[in-house]
Amino acid sequence: MNLATLTMIVLAAGLWSYAWWRRDGSHWRGLLRGWSTLKSTFPLLGLAFIIVGYATVLVPETGLQGWIGSDSGWSGLILALGMGTFIPGGPYVALPLIGTLNDLGIGLGATIALVNGWAGLSLLHAAWELRYLGWRFTAIRWTLTLVFLLLIGSLAQAIFEGVS
Amino acid sequence: MRERTTLILAGVVLLLAVLAWNQGGWEMAGEGLLGGLRTLVRMSPLLVAAFLIAGLIQLFLTQENVSRWLGAESGWRGIFLACASGSLVPGGPFIYYPIAATLFRAGASLGVVVAFVSAKNLWPLVRLPIEFALLGPRLTLIRLAVTLLVPPLLGFLAQGLLGHQSDTIRKSLEP
Repeated sequence: MNLATLTMIVLAAGLWSYAWWRRDGSHWRGLLRGWSTLKSTFPLLGLAFIIVGYATVLVPETGLQGWIGSDSGWSGLILALGMGTFIPGGPYVALPLIGTLNDLGIGLGATIALVNGWAGLSLLHAAWELRYLGWRFTAIRWTLTLVFLLLIGSLAQAIFEGVS
Repeated sequence: MRERTTLILAGVVLLLAVLAWNQGGWEMAGEGLLGGLRTLVRMSPLLVAAFLIAGLIQLFLTQENVSRWLGAESGWRGIFLACASGSLVPGGPFIYYPIAATLFRAGASLGVVVAFVSAKNLWPLVRLPIEFALLGPRLTLIRLAVTLLVPPLLGFLAQGLLGHQSDTIRKSLEP
């Protein structure tokens, strides 16, 4: 068992103990809610991981590294952020795919730009933002976020690229 | 929505399987499928723990609690509270965008609402266990470290540069 799994199990046990200590039945409700989310997203997770398996055997590593790898500079970061905005689906679909692209060697800055593009500037979410907050708000937030996320991707690449 | 996503993903899997079969025969088609399933099995304990943590966090936090904490705060205190609330509020875009619109109509400034939406998008507490499980601790921690200041900075910048637009935007949101 690796450190990540152990950390998550300890955290889950700690939270569950707190829920049990509250003595309001939340320990059972939390278990049921977690189980029901896992059960309903399992087909999605299964399919996402199979896509990950195929991406690993099909995607040419050198091509990807050239486009958005650590040596691709600003154009690679802009492309990664742009690709992130198009990634559909929730975390169960998007994160395994981005994790695979990272394993294929696209570089830390590009991986972070992909996650941030998907999370911060999702085109699917833009429809909700426009509907509830209007075009002025959406334009202001998108412009500022775009600039910041590009800077952040570049910063991550520069500072953390050598950290393992 | 979820059924549609499942169907689209199943179509993508089928397409990729045909591509792999075309490129490397049954061996490559099987390799992709088995590789994916092996990764899923290997990550199962981590995923179960992540879903349990997400389930418990959602139980401890409710939208009502978060909205109450934020209230009608403004200024730098409002922006920091908006970041904390955005990170804690559970639910998808169909929940937090209406909350953001309500905050705006209730008198929150542009910077507060930008900080709230940005924190929900970039640091959602409920998504963290899933991100940790699916992307790994190193990537998750580095992403959090470099995006830590983004929501408050976006809030301050939006307020400083375009805060005078708050009333115009608020009026445009009137039903």
